[in-house]
Amino acid sequence: MSTALNEKPNAESLPASSGAAILQDGHYLAPPEDKDGKLWARTTALIQGSPDDLYALWRANENTPLWQEQIEEVVITGVNTSRWTMKDGDKTITWNAEIVADEPGKRIVWRSLDGDINEAGEVIFEPAPADRGTFVTVLMEFRIGKLASAWETLTGRNPKQGVIENLRHFKALAETGEIPNSQTAPHGDRGVVGKMKRSLYGETIPTPPGATAV
Amino acid sequence: MGTSKVETLTVPDPELVNPHDAIIKITRTAICGSDLHLYDGFIPTMEAGDIMGHEFMGIVEEVGKDVHNLKRGDRVVVPFTIACGNCLFCKKKIWSACDNTNPNAHLMEAAYGYSGSGLFGYSHMMGGYAGGQAQYARALRQRRPVEARDGPARRESALPL
Repeated sequence: MSTALNEKPNAESLPASSGAAILQDGHYLAPPEDKDGKLWARTTALIQGSPDDLYALWRANENTPLWQEQIEEVVITGVNTSRWTMKDGDKTITWNAEIVADEPGKRIVWRSLDGDINEAGEVIFEPAPADRGTFVTVLMEFRIGKLASAWETLTGRNPKQGVIENLRHFKALAETGEIPNSQTAPHGDRGVVGKMKRSLYGETIPTPPGATAV
Repeated sequence: MGTSKVETLTVPDPELVNPHDAIIKITRTAICGSDLHLYDGFIPTMEAGDIMGHEFMGIVEEVGKDVHNLKRGDRVVVPFTIACGNCLFCKKKIWSACDNTNPNAHLMEAAYGYSGSGLFGYSHMMGGYAGGQAQYARALRQRRPVEARDGPARRESALPL
């Protein structure tokens, strides 16, 4: 069984020999292969909270900069449309997005309309058995060149990993009201190697604020 | 400052970052047997400049706006594991498996398959938090993990928790 180490176990493909493989309904299948410049990401988290509350937190697009990495601003431009601004280092990119399916408490599907990003995504909220919370699954596809993707991995965050991290931030915010942050921890001189490793560890991407005031 | 090399340095004081943080003025701190794993270089992602120390106690100096069970002047013991108190594992009191306190969980997932809770002063893959072998430390998630103990002055000793 091929498994991606950066995905949570419940997002991994089931062995074909398992009886549970019959349950494969799309959520448990391996994501489609990356090809023709298209990247896929899928991740799942078990979050303590009702599907309705989590849907409401996700759907409040104007609050997205609190929990999504590098998102500067989201301006609601219509019932289903919004304008997004993202800051990546010194680069600012903007795009318009549209919600194509919106089922309260169940799922949201969106896509970019125009601008600097070409992407589409879906988030699904499913109650977990035995009142253990809600499974939140995010599926995203986007187009990015192979070189750009490798560069992003080295200098901070590959967009596929970004999807996983954003769901992690969403879970922390939903469950605790804040997002864990160790980036301001005091330290001694790190030297040249230590500074380079910071970006490999993903520590140069600012952790989203989560809460608005300390 | 590298494998088998520990120094005392002057660094900036920690600051409140999140609403459930507290700043602790440290009165006692221990060197643990597991600090040797860091000292000897057995734990990956420990980097030059990191502050060690995961067994410490002290006096509350400052609290975040959502901390209601502690106030300035309280004497506290800070446990090794940082636990949010609200995730599935914390609800079962399995604090060391907390889902929400390790900002570098992806590093633990790559190395161990799944991430545990964040830990004080114990490498970047376990959170990258500064430890308690210092004058001040930032303690997190004060609703659960830090036990405030009232009472008159008593003998203090930092014990492995």
